[in-house]
Amino acid sequence: MKSFWWVAPAVSVLAVMSLYPLAFLVLSGFHSSSGEWTLQNFTRMASDRMLGEALWHTALFVTVALTLELLFGLVLALLIDSVRRGRGLLRTTIMVPMLLPPVVAAVVWRLIYNPQFGLLNGTLRAFGADPSALTWTNGEGGALWSVIAVDVWEWTPFVFLLVSAALQSLPQEALEAARVDGASRWRVFFDIELPLLKPVLLLAAMLRGIDLIRVFDQVFMLTQGGPGFATETISLYIYRTAFRFFDFGYAAAMSILLLIIATFLARRLARQLRPQA
Amino acid sequence: MRRLVLALLAATAGLAPVYWLVTIALKTEVDQFAQPPQWLFHPTFEHFQALLGNRSMEQALWNSVIAAVGSTICALAAGVPAAYALNSLPWPAGWADRIGFWILSNRLLPPIVTIVPLFLMLRDLHLLNSIWSLTAVYTAFHLPFVVWMMRGFLAEVPPEIEEAARLDGASSWGVLWSIVLPLVRPGLAATAAFCVIAAWNEFLFALILTQTGAASTLPVGIASRVTQYEIKWGVMAAGGVLAMLPVLLFAGLTQRYLVRGLSLGAVKG
Repeated sequence: MKSFWWVAPAVSVLAVMSLYPLAFLVLSGFHSSSGEWTLQNFTRMASDRMLGEALWHTALFVTVALTLELLFGLVLALLIDSVRRGRGLLRTTIMVPMLLPPVVAAVVWRLIYNPQFGLLNGTLRAFGADPSALTWTNGEGGALWSVIAVDVWEWTPFVFLLVSAALQSLPQEALEAARVDGASRWRVFFDIELPLLKPVLLLAAMLRGIDLIRVFDQVFMLTQGGPGFATETISLYIYRTAFRFFDFGYAAAMSILLLIIATFLARRLARQLRPQA
Repeated sequence: MRRLVLALLAATAGLAPVYWLVTIALKTEVDQFAQPPQWLFHPTFEHFQALLGNRSMEQALWNSVIAAVGSTICALAAGVPAAYALNSLPWPAGWADRIGFWILSNRLLPPIVTIVPLFLMLRDLHLLNSIWSLTAVYTAFHLPFVVWMMRGFLAEVPPEIEEAARLDGASSWGVLWSIVLPLVRPGLAATAAFCVIAAWNEFLFALILTQTGAASTLPVGIASRVTQYEIKWGVMAAGGVLAMLPVLLFAGLTQRYLVRGLSLGAVKG
């Protein structure tokens, strides 16, 4: 029983900071603002078009960003792995975007995306193009994609880092043997390397997925969910509901929904991971 | 050769936006808005002077330091003994795994989910707008990560060393403090560095729990500048540079452990 004392400080801090909030969420989700038990907060979700849109934006964000980050990260890792000199230095520089405070990353891209004075449109103008139709984060059509591009820039290095580490531990003899047997580079990649990399790719997908589904910082800093509602994600909508409209009951109900979705996805990915690990 | 060029291109694509931030921070206002965009220019430090001469920014900088260092120390003090106990002390069957998994599962909670109850709890206790409450929240935020990382590092210590010390009559606490911890010092340092970076970068909790200037941190200070004075690009960029430098420094110092640390999403706020 003495062992329990050793974990008591950690467990009690976590209980206050995460168990209590969870219990509170469930209670306030099921209460109306006047304090009676109700399912109102949950039935309201079904008819809330804004929530539907926020969920749709989040789904798009997760799917597109995750796909691109996995793809670019994998290609980049294979590329750097095949470079002989300066690998360490290249690796370190590639990691920089991921280490930046998200707020700073957003500042960087505001300076680049600004339609009048930004680097992007300025460069296009310098080459004689007319970029006045390109509003990046300021236009309804392109805003979500522009924010996704920032996330891809910021977090592709993370996938790169994980895949790079896995590449170094691949069984070199098997790859060598296949090459000696005359297998083409593509065959070696698709038949041997890719299956061996599958666990690390799944792990990267899971860790990025967990972060992407709660995406907040970049969107808040770049567009505040706008223009209009074009980049509102579920985290931003909960934030707005709680801290702009002070509707804590509804925010709690939506938080429960987000928690269920996040747990469900994490479990599915974790189950896929286990057989290989 | 072709590959090296491609690799350099990729590294440039990653760094060019950051370089652009630095140039804006060092450019006069005329140069900032020059068309076409200028990659080379005469640097000026006026924006950094304006930034550091600003009382609220200075306060934000100190708050960030307090929150980062304070939460890291607390998280290590609570997390390391827990990690050691889960690894090496006797437990009723299954309990070490159960507790370990529960601690780790807290990492899956989206911050936006816990923020509403935490905000209301701290408001009712009159603890909002205090850098110390933010430090406490960050401590909880680090704990799953500290326990996870340290269990990994502690497991690499050969059990014979602990056994020998125990046979010599050392208490569990003595074994941890004077035998095991010195052996895992690099891992401990890396874990601490990651906590510092994560707290330094964190935005959402700081935004909501510290709404007055006196308690807010650097990211919140920069964010409010972005929304209020859109035109002051130089000061905004200088703030960004200031916030990013310590992170890059710390990351450089702990390069060897980056993969293990980052795979738990440590750096992300």
